[in-house]
Amino acid sequence: MHSVTTQRRGERGFSLLLLVFSVTAFWQSYAISGFSGLSTAGVFPMLASATMMVSAACILLQNVRQSPSTSGSSNDGFMQSILPLPVVIMMALITGYLFAMPALGFLLSSAAFLFLSFSYLWRKSLLTSLLITAVSVASVYFIFRKVFQVVLPKGSLLQSLF
Amino acid sequence: MPDILSNLLTVWTDPWLLFLTAIGTLAGIYVGAIPGLSVTMATSILISFTFKWPVNDALALIAGIFMGGVYGGSRTAILLNIPGAPSAIATAIEGYPMAKRGDAGEAIGLTTVMSVIGGFIGIIALALFAPVISSFAIMFNSRDYLLLGLIGILLVGTLSGESFAKGAFAGALGVLIGMVGLDPMTAEGRFTFGNVSMMGGIPYVAAMIGFFGVAEALVQLHQLDVAVIKQRVDRIIPKLRDVKQQLGLALRASGIGTIIGALPGTGGDIAALLAYDHAKRSTKKPEVPFGEGCKEGLVAPEAANNAAVGGAYIPMLTLGIPGDAVTAVIIGALFIHGLKPGPLLLVETPHLFWFIVGALTLANICLLIFGLTGIRIFTKIVECPKGILIPLIIVLSAVGTYAIQNNPVHIYWMLLFGVIGYFMKMYGFQVGPVILGVILGPMMDSNYRRAMIGARGDIGTFFWNFVSHPITLVLSIALVAMLLSQTPLLRWFKNWRARRHTA
Repeated sequence: MHSVTTQRRGERGFSLLLLVFSVTAFWQSYAISGFSGLSTAGVFPMLASATMMVSAACILLQNVRQSPSTSGSSNDGFMQSILPLPVVIMMALITGYLFAMPALGFLLSSAAFLFLSFSYLWRKSLLTSLLITAVSVASVYFIFRKVFQVVLPKGSLLQSLF
Repeated sequence: MPDILSNLLTVWTDPWLLFLTAIGTLAGIYVGAIPGLSVTMATSILISFTFKWPVNDALALIAGIFMGGVYGGSRTAILLNIPGAPSAIATAIEGYPMAKRGDAGEAIGLTTVMSVIGGFIGIIALALFAPVISSFAIMFNSRDYLLLGLIGILLVGTLSGESFAKGAFAGALGVLIGMVGLDPMTAEGRFTFGNVSMMGGIPYVAAMIGFFGVAEALVQLHQLDVAVIKQRVDRIIPKLRDVKQQLGLALRASGIGTIIGALPGTGGDIAALLAYDHAKRSTKKPEVPFGEGCKEGLVAPEAANNAAVGGAYIPMLTLGIPGDAVTAVIIGALFIHGLKPGPLLLVETPHLFWFIVGALTLANICLLIFGLTGIRIFTKIVECPKGILIPLIIVLSAVGTYAIQNNPVHIYWMLLFGVIGYFMKMYGFQVGPVILGVILGPMMDSNYRRAMIGARGDIGTFFWNFVSHPITLVLSIALVAMLLSQTPLLRWFKNWRARRHTA
């Protein structure tokens, strides 16, 4: 096992976030059945979240001991190394895809998502992107709807069609 | 004996059954290989067609899908660094660096041959030891299952990743995710926040697809502009020298795989990781260091996870306890066909037992044929630009998640896990332990509580039970040894003693 001597951008913040999450999880596990017995529903969740608390605390401690990442404006570095632009844009597209699905249905929202992300990531002509989108959606539809008989989510807007 | 032989050969002599097994294996390989399509999902969907079929037809198809699916995960692990199934996690660690060097063909050839060898060992073990192992496994107590679960998760956590703490955190997080929903023993809500849709829990396939599919796709966005490496796939039949050199390790790994596969609750995933660990320990001078494309690290998990298939059938057929998620689905299919998997299956319907052994053998031979062919078409997927591949993985992951229970909420979960997994990966966490925690968590929870109730709620008796029974003692020692060797506890203890000595 190798240890990393310099830490990544925002690593301390992330570890702190994990610790806060673990403490919340422990509090929620305690809320299930408290310390009322050793074989109640809440014991195992408490054990799991306690393990998370201890290990998150250890990780944070390791981070504090490590030398901080190279100097410079920390915000720029964080965006570059952890959240570069393509990742931010894809995450936004995925979020849009999620919110579009209930209204547009699976096929239309997937087609829109694929077309937008192909055009952004691949940067070929619009026609090529459109063609690949059509082929992908058609094959997904055939394999899942026809072969595996999965009922794909339908949209509320065009219920009868897609 | 002649009866056994004729039952064993039924599947070989009937062209229709032969075809079903072959098509099942081929489908299994591709489904197992497609990221976002899990073998469990494919098996459950495909089995839903076979409910109306005759028993033999269904069993033949299932044997093929299972065998092919367990192997298929390794191809995507090698070519895309996305394990198609949890059992291919270790394969990705060594296989992907090989593919990065352009040796994907060699890696696939070697894994195929080793998977087939492992598969045969598992089948032989199934045929020979089914009665013996069942009598051993029947002695397993709930605390033994608890220990097995703990060892499994911690092993995954410590094998790869930056630190023990990160592995332990990921494992515990998985267990916590697995706890969400109505408690199966008391029907109390856990982490449901009064929300009805949370009561059914979070399906582990959604977590698995999110952590492995979407998170990996997002990580891959970092290397969008890296030129795709042309893979050398002209040499797929592995060198005889390589096979000979690795045979000993493959046989030992197959042994590990068969035994782990036969233990209820532990399947190919744990088998593969234990075998990988074994390879790491027993290989003194690897040609290439582990983690950078070492052949030993590729051979061991692949031989082990296919050996675990034969192994997994042992508890399923002899005890009625599924060895892993796939066998849990298969056991449901057997019940629907009117079979009673359990100690009486071998007594009442021995012909079915031998039929299954024959079908698995045939599937394994099909695996050798299909595994060494068609890779050229397959590698076209890798040569496909990432700009097309990544959005497709996300859409496939969404369909795959939806297909399990036709519940759109699962897609949201899956994508949320994808984003969480992305950040965890960026900060050096492994997502493998999370998935194992989700799968094994509920099993560990119920076994912990059964063991505690068995000790009448007395914590002293509870811990005494961990050292007073031979099987449990062995497992307890294994767990403690692992904790001591992986954490600084032992060093702290030594320092403390040294300080006390000098004082």
